[in-house]
Amino acid sequence: MNWLWLLWPRGERRLAAIYVVLVLFSLALLWSVTEPLVGPYAEMQVDVPKGIFWRQLIWASFSWLLVCLVSRLPLRYVENTAWPAYLVVAALLVMVLALAPEVGGARRWLVIGPFRLQPSEFAKIALVIVLAAWLSRRLGDRSHIAATLGSLGLTLLLAVLVLREPDLGTSLVFLGIWLGVIFWFGISGLLLVTALSAAISAVVMFYSEGVLEQPWPWGLYILLVIAALYAVRLSMSASVLVLVCNIAAGLGIPLVWARLQAYQQERILTFFDPGRDAMGTGYQALQSKVAIGSGGLFGTQYLQGTQKGLAFLPERHTDFIFSVAGEELGLLGAGIILGLFLLLVLRAVDLAAQARRPFGSLLAIGVASYFCFHVVVNVSITTGLLPVTGLPLPLISYGGSNLLVSSLMVALLLNLSAHRYDD
Amino acid sequence: MDFKAALPVRRRIFRAVALLFFAVIVCNLINLMLVRHEHFRDRALKNRQLQFRVQAPRGRITDRDGIPLADNRFHSDITVPISSFAGGEADSTLTQLLTWFALPLEPTLADLQNQQRRGRGRVSLVRGATMSQLMAVEERRLHLPGARVESRLRRRYLWGPLFAHVIGYTSEVDQEDLDRAGGEFDYRPGDYIGKGGVEAAFESRLRGVAGIKLEEVNASGRIVGRESIWLRPVEPGRDVALTLSLPLQVAMDSLLAGRPGSAVALAIPSGEVLAAVSLPSFDTNLMTAAISVERWRQLSEDPAKPFFNRIVQATYAPGSLYKAITSLAALRKGVIDTTSTLEPCLGGMQFGNRYARCWKPEGHGRLDHAAALAHSCGVYYYQLGLRLEIDELAEAARAFGLGEVVTGIFPDEAAGNIPTAAWYDRRFGRGQWTRGVLLNNAIGQGEILVTPLQMALLAARLAVDGQVPGPVFVRGQTPAVGPVELPFHPRHMQWIRRALRQVVDAGTGRAARQAGVAVAGKTGTAENVHGQNHAWFMCYAPASAPEVAVVVMLENAGGGGAEAAPVAGAWLRQFFAHNGVAGEPASGRRLP
Repeated sequence: MNWLWLLWPRGERRLAAIYVVLVLFSLALLWSVTEPLVGPYAEMQVDVPKGIFWRQLIWASFSWLLVCLVSRLPLRYVENTAWPAYLVVAALLVMVLALAPEVGGARRWLVIGPFRLQPSEFAKIALVIVLAAWLSRRLGDRSHIAATLGSLGLTLLLAVLVLREPDLGTSLVFLGIWLGVIFWFGISGLLLVTALSAAISAVVMFYSEGVLEQPWPWGLYILLVIAALYAVRLSMSASVLVLVCNIAAGLGIPLVWARLQAYQQERILTFFDPGRDAMGTGYQALQSKVAIGSGGLFGTQYLQGTQKGLAFLPERHTDFIFSVAGEELGLLGAGIILGLFLLLVLRAVDLAAQARRPFGSLLAIGVASYFCFHVVVNVSITTGLLPVTGLPLPLISYGGSNLLVSSLMVALLLNLSAHRYDD
Repeated sequence: MDFKAALPVRRRIFRAVALLFFAVIVCNLINLMLVRHEHFRDRALKNRQLQFRVQAPRGRITDRDGIPLADNRFHSDITVPISSFAGGEADSTLTQLLTWFALPLEPTLADLQNQQRRGRGRVSLVRGATMSQLMAVEERRLHLPGARVESRLRRRYLWGPLFAHVIGYTSEVDQEDLDRAGGEFDYRPGDYIGKGGVEAAFESRLRGVAGIKLEEVNASGRIVGRESIWLRPVEPGRDVALTLSLPLQVAMDSLLAGRPGSAVALAIPSGEVLAAVSLPSFDTNLMTAAISVERWRQLSEDPAKPFFNRIVQATYAPGSLYKAITSLAALRKGVIDTTSTLEPCLGGMQFGNRYARCWKPEGHGRLDHAAALAHSCGVYYYQLGLRLEIDELAEAARAFGLGEVVTGIFPDEAAGNIPTAAWYDRRFGRGQWTRGVLLNNAIGQGEILVTPLQMALLAARLAVDGQVPGPVFVRGQTPAVGPVELPFHPRHMQWIRRALRQVVDAGTGRAARQAGVAVAGKTGTAENVHGQNHAWFMCYAPASAPEVAVVVMLENAGGGGAEAAPVAGAWLRQFFAHNGVAGEPASGRRLP
């Protein structure tokens, strides 16, 4: 019976338990989603075939074996794979753009035999590892500017490739991961201030021009920035840097807007004004909110959701699976899922703080950023806090590539938790 | 600052940010699910849009001139849910319907259960219901919970059995199709899929893409919407035009007069199939309307094998048709000349301890090469065969594309068999076979196997030095194989064409002779150990400027000259009366 212990991952029990419970939630929800539709005209509607569930079950089993394996690998191996993995993923993303068949206006999948792989998912973990590997060697640098800009370059390369597919949501995930990791690494305060204020400048400009159609709020904001710079008595060159970036970001927004795909523009506008498109993307967001809201405290009970059952929920097995959880399991069930994710993130942050080597530390914080950003953005989309952009809920949504990558992320944490004191 | 030393502070900041994010989304959830719960619950109840999937009409199949051969029409079915016969017991609705329509209980239940196995939630009790049946159900809706009238497009084959083997048929997808289709949402229970022939080979072109629309419905599920919104428009399937011509197909079918066998006509040099008949046939409309178990068994167990596509699936010994290849192989090797005479035919020939007979017991006497072909003299060809190696003969046959699949669109298309020395070694063991097999191979007997379509291709390629691609059944279809360069001397090709013409003018193929048009051909009588000989005839015409190649193959019919050649001759008469391929006035005749 000695070999049986190989089927349980090394590392903290509670981390493994959180992972297992989340995957079980996923399978339970997918079983519910793939139940045949009920109600009048059910057989003429578009339902999700049961095969989805069985496929995900196979992926989950496979992922579990990988988790057991990766949790036992020496971290050095992971570090050594950083650059090869990054290059392979970048090459795959280029291949996707060149070769992948177009599905619904986007090229995202490489078809290999019976499998459809989504390289942009694998890019997430490759980015986490490469950022940790690269930045952990730059800690001794006198200035962090080179490390910051270099890591941003590594991130943007992947983000731009994915953006071309086009997949806005996933490319934003890369930036989310980068933000978390670079903060942990120790970004220069000046850069942080510059970046954040420039981002705010862009949003204010968008509101001014796109929604209010008047330029003065942005002008006011720039005046405020100048006043603030004067007030904190920043050096002249630094002040100029901050100001120039703010103005560039503000003026750049109309240019970026013009380059967005029509459907992306439509989604953002719909977000600010849900009434403008009740049937398209607004339809998705609205139906998702109706499903979650109708769940109440205890939900409509498992398998009983009418929104899901009557196929009002779009993408109900992928990006909007959280709505099914909300409808059928209620605030309690949805809360448990979110609580587990929060525990996972906090545990990852603790592991990052305790790790013996900087590589492990940065790796853990990359994983923490991944889960935090992914979950918060996905749930915000399904509850109408953010515009609709395709993004799965890690470990829960249907999709083999995402489950595999999220599982590998957890496996890295398990690995770290086992090697915390002896690496 | 030291990295490690800074971590506790950053840890606190990171935790705070994460907690803040999660707090925001949880607060929002509380707002949606508790504070505004009533509002959303009402919206959920009032939600009136249902998504419907609308099947795309399947593309039509026409003949080469656009005459429809397969189209779609609406059928109204009376359907019941599978729950109405759960456990093999009919519920009250089903019992009432069975009584009204005087349907027998046991066979009907068996049929319904058979449909259930195809994965549908509702099954058809009455297919293609009449108006009075529909009215009966509609009027008593309230007393018949579960029963419903459903209209669907269904395939209609206007010529039933005439094109069965070429077109194939459609049927509802079964579990195997659903698994094989792979794509997650491509096929759904109740969809139709092409089976066999052009319906299957051109499935992706014919099928189209189902649309999805949103409809407003009232509380009881009836559509009330003033407007429907198409989330995805229906893309109708595209039409497919066959290369076959309806009148030429009808002519061929009536000339075969129900005898088991097959006949094919190929346009030269395009390789387009103009007519292709395989008999016996079956009515493809039966298959589409979800055939009953009993009728299916009857058809599939019929000893005459109506499902068997004798044009491309059946393989036979080519018999004397093969002598054209033997002649060319011998000429190429230089072991004989176009005018050579050999030992005279006295009705047979001694080879070792075996006496090989000619078909004519009294013998042909001394013949030259052309006359030997014209009269199909066995003894002459035995002697030719013995001057060849088995591989030289096989090479000549393969040059014409024999031994290979020629269309690539029929799933069970046979490649046939052109045996080589290596093949005999494998089959009988090295040294376990003798040159005696050459006696058989030289006259197209023994282990040689060909399909009728391959023989049509042979005739066409003999006519124009191989410049005919693999046969195509659909206009614009890319042939599976291209034209071939024949390895024979032009002088020998000219000679064989003259000799083949002599076969029809003065030899065994006189029954195919035409007034005004010269025909070149070859008869064949394939010995059949299981029964009567198979009758073969292949030809092309006009001999001087070939337009069409024809092969007729009649199973167990006897001699090729007496049985098969007259069919080809009569068909050619109609073909030329019909003004050839184009069917236009003689002055403006146009080739494809």
